Amino acid sequence: MPEAEPTSEKKAVKQDKLIQLIVFRLGDEEYGIRIEQVKEVTVTPEIARMPKTPSFVKGIANLRGDIIAIIDLEERFKLRPANQSMPTMSYTLAIEAKEYTIGIVVREVPQPLSIPLSIIEKAPEFIQDMNIQDKYIEGIAKVEGRIIIVLDMPKLLSPTEIMQLQPK
Amino acid sequence: MKSREEEYREIFMAEALEYYDAMSRHISELEKDPNDEKALHELFRLMHNLKANARAMGFNDIGEVAHRMETIFGLIRSKERTFSGSLVPVLFTGVDTLGGMIRAVDQDEDVANADQLLHNLDLLVEGEEPILEPDEKNVDEDATRKLELSDLVYIQIKKLDHLLNLVGELIIDRDRILTLSQEIGSPALQAAASHLFRIADDLQYSVMDARLVNVGSLFNKFPRVVRDVAVAEKKEVELTIIGQDIQIDRNILQIITDALLHLVRNAIGHGLETPEERVRAGKPEQGSLTLSAQTERDDVLIQVIDDGKGIDVEQVRRKAVERGLVSAEASRSLDANAVRAFLFEPGFSMAKEVTDISGRGVGLDVVKLAIDSLGGQLRVDSTLGQGTTFTLVLPTSIAVKGALLFELEERSYAIPLMHTDSVVSLQPKELHVVGGILMARLLGENVPVVDLRQLLHNSDGALLPAVKAELQGRQDIIIVNYNNRKLGLIVDRFLRQQDIVIKPMSKPLDMIDLFGGVTLLGSGQVCLVIDVPALTRLFLAKRP
Repeated sequence: MPEAEPTSEKKAVKQDKLIQLIVFRLGDEEYGIRIEQVKEVTVTPEIARMPKTPSFVKGIANLRGDIIAIIDLEERFKLRPANQSMPTMSYTLAIEAKEYTIGIVVREVPQPLSIPLSIIEKAPEFIQDMNIQDKYIEGIAKVEGRIIIVLDMPKLLSPTEIMQLQPK
Repeated sequence: MKSREEEYREIFMAEALEYYDAMSRHISELEKDPNDEKALHELFRLMHNLKANARAMGFNDIGEVAHRMETIFGLIRSKERTFSGSLVPVLFTGVDTLGGMIRAVDQDEDVANADQLLHNLDLLVEGEEPILEPDEKNVDEDATRKLELSDLVYIQIKKLDHLLNLVGELIIDRDRILTLSQEIGSPALQAAASHLFRIADDLQYSVMDARLVNVGSLFNKFPRVVRDVAVAEKKEVELTIIGQDIQIDRNILQIITDALLHLVRNAIGHGLETPEERVRAGKPEQGSLTLSAQTERDDVLIQVIDDGKGIDVEQVRRKAVERGLVSAEASRSLDANAVRAFLFEPGFSMAKEVTDISGRGVGLDVVKLAIDSLGGQLRVDSTLGQGTTFTLVLPTSIAVKGALLFELEERSYAIPLMHTDSVVSLQPKELHVVGGILMARLLGENVPVVDLRQLLHNSDGALLPAVKAELQGRQDIIIVNYNNRKLGLIVDRFLRQQDIVIKPMSKPLDMIDLFGGVTLLGSGQVCLVIDVPALTRLFLAKRP
């Protein structure tokens, strides 16, 4: 962190850095992504299904001339019963991963939320998906009784992540 | 389209003018610092190149002046003369004279007489004093001297690539606007859209045209290669080059360079026999190798033809069985074309011994991959004892490809025409199940047919054996052709033929090689482009 922190051990709430999250619902929980990782939020465009991809990859879509992959995190994390599908009307968050943009579909309009950085608690080790090397849960934030799981999208959407999940 | 002579002449002019500019610059530098070795060396090199180019084009007067100038710069370089005294004005006059001669050639005028200059240069070579004319004329000339800029522009291929990408985007948007204008139905908008359509079309062809180069620019490098390989292999080869002025996209030519080199080395190393063997076989001692280019519809055909010993199909068949590429039993039923297709399998080399030139384990599969990456085709024809012909079918341009659009499960897909053999509609009774695979008899040939839906959606493991009862009513089938193998794909419906601009698959989905990319249709719909080579491989791997 570049700013000179005072050496005092006291909780300096006023000086705490605020971060902006885009919060959305997956299954029964709320998740957040740092706003700088979100390129845009839009009504989900028409998706062309792409054969030979994991089922959570919904396909590809034309987003203002860019062809991007669209994934369904509810399906990825098994957050809803398998027989249930996304509603016809859904929203897509275009996320900037390292080398590409990828879209994630969510059922409700995502909302922005500012929280102090300090309230994000590190996630316990054991919640992390054992299969995945990179730890994509940045932490858990408690805000007025809500629990928001903050995701580190570039890690979640890394090519190796997707590659590991590809059918062989 | 310009004739080859005209084009060579333009290139010569552009280079000559450039040389002249560089000469003027370097000689001024040398005047400032007579010890400037770099400038001196450059002047020597420029004179040498100009001499060679001018003589090759038949402009002997220019060649003569450049030759003597080169001699003097050579003498200065070897410290036998110094760049001083009366030598300086003579050399300056020499450079100016060359400039004048180049301009005269450009404007189709007679080249001025340079005898006086040539004489002076001779005198200098012999170490005598040149005869200098009074300066008056020169002063006059200097005052009227014009500054010339070349008519040709050298441009980085990167810039043309960028331009082409932009045009590709424009074409996609153009089609979208055209469709929208028809939906909206405003006459003014439709008129504007159709005008935009024409302009964008012209622009696209102009950019594609700017990227075209003569196949000769690659072919002309081969006489030397052939000579070197022939010497190393102790073969006698006569190279014939046909169709140098066929034009093709510069990047395509770049990509096939290694492939062509490989095929030529192969032809000399493995195809052509030694002179003794040839005489024994009743052939002329000298082997013949032909590099030819021709256009066929929108494609360019490049052929490497030798009159050597040909490919022994039985030997390839045995080797394929040895390598486990096919069972001994199945191999017997394969025809010659299917057997020769094994030559393009990775690591399949027929070379018995490793030589310097070929047979280093780098097989024809590398050639095949290069051609595949362009969406082209590679074919081989051979008659044992009479020779082998490799044919590369290449698109003229990489930007736009003809494609067949079809529908599968209410989605549009495209398949490049390059790999499409034909389309047929067959009734179930015309299809037969042989060994779990559907077969259609087309023009006396048995073609395996597969339901594309099953091929695309079947996750792991082999395809289930085909059941004829599942076929209901007329079946629309696209026959694709890859590596001499035909395969029929059952689709839901044929749509239309259309030129498409293929965008590469976006990451991370580009790891799925079944799709060569995507294109956007006029409706804005995303359309996957099937990669026939990958699809054929998938079918071979998954067939029941």
